[in-house]
Amino acid sequence: MGTREKILLALIIISLALLAVILSFGALGAVPLKTIRPLGSFYLYFMANNNIMIQEIYPSITKPSDFWAASTEGVTAILWDYRGLDTLFETSVFFFAIIGSVSVFRYYSASLEEKNKKNTNNSSINTKTSDQGLSLIVKLITRINFVVIIAVSASIAFHGQLTPGGGFQGGATLAVAPLLAIAALSRYFVEDVGLKKNTMLTIRTLGLLIIGLLALAPLIMGLVGGNPYIMENQPKSWAMFIGFPSFGLGVLLGSLAFYNMAELLAVGAGFTVVFLLLTLPEEFFKKILSREVGEQ
Amino acid sequence: MFYLLHLVMLVLMMSIGFVFAFLAIMERDLLKAVVFSAGQAAAYVIVYYLLMSPDIVLAYAAIGVGIYSAVMIIAIKKTERYEKV
Repeated sequence: MGTREKILLALIIISLALLAVILSFGALGAVPLKTIRPLGSFYLYFMANNNIMIQEIYPSITKPSDFWAASTEGVTAILWDYRGLDTLFETSVFFFAIIGSVSVFRYYSASLEEKNKKNTNNSSINTKTSDQGLSLIVKLITRINFVVIIAVSASIAFHGQLTPGGGFQGGATLAVAPLLAIAALSRYFVEDVGLKKNTMLTIRTLGLLIIGLLALAPLIMGLVGGNPYIMENQPKSWAMFIGFPSFGLGVLLGSLAFYNMAELLAVGAGFTVVFLLLTLPEEFFKKILSREVGEQ
Repeated sequence: MFYLLHLVMLVLMMSIGFVFAFLAIMERDLLKAVVFSAGQAAAYVIVYYLLMSPDIVLAYAAIGVGIYSAVMIIAIKKTERYEKV
């Protein structure tokens, strides 16, 4: 270890010790907290209960269903109901980020044709895409894991309004499945199975379209009667409308379940598009781009 | 007693994460550095679980261990494996 590394290590240790001292004097309160902060207890009281009356703490709340999100999961309730528009814009940021990466790889189909041409030229090597990838054991285990990961991600997202989880978490987990398949079975095999770039783009756009329609759904329902606002989940006394179905705990609860499903599609397919693009062999792109810049 | 156990686990996992992060920075073989980084993420998953944020656990486990490592490995495959001094 050189002198520079020793100084670096010492600096890291000193700054960590300083941080530990600051924290132990209670900069963030006791970690982990023994009590719930007032804002947190408000959400915990009212997000799942539409008939609880706590006059001694909240004397001004006479109609608890006004603050009801029809969900037992605080994070999902805040993400898609109390602070719904934040998440809507966050999802659109993700959408545009992936549009950017798709537009960078604009010779996608041409590069695939090049690969096919190369394959037919030397047909003795790599004729079948199923011959590519890692060994048989890894491939078999990946096939089993593929199904399991998709099942887990579905359970995270579809149960997200009741237990920890939600659309983004489920989508990020879902994206690991095609990633494993790309690593173990080769990206061309994944495309042959049907996880093509354009299919994934369509699924992702569909997810975002559903989110947009769900956000506008209260306004459309309001045509029948009432005065709802955008992304409203349950009817409020100042903005009455029919409301999304909330049959009670254990069944579909409000709009959150639908938002989670759509977000699962959008995030999972979005990540898959990026991986399919990133794992393209880059020789073709280098050739085309150097021609564009004028180098030979 | 239980509270103390909680804190001890927290400190232990934070320390493991710190060690992994340090190894990831110091490693010249970038593929190994990615593996150390995934180890740091795995330790922090437990830290977030102890800090009672299960939603972060679900997102961090998938992104920190799976997606981030994969993107880094793709980048290493397309560039160079060993860091030059």
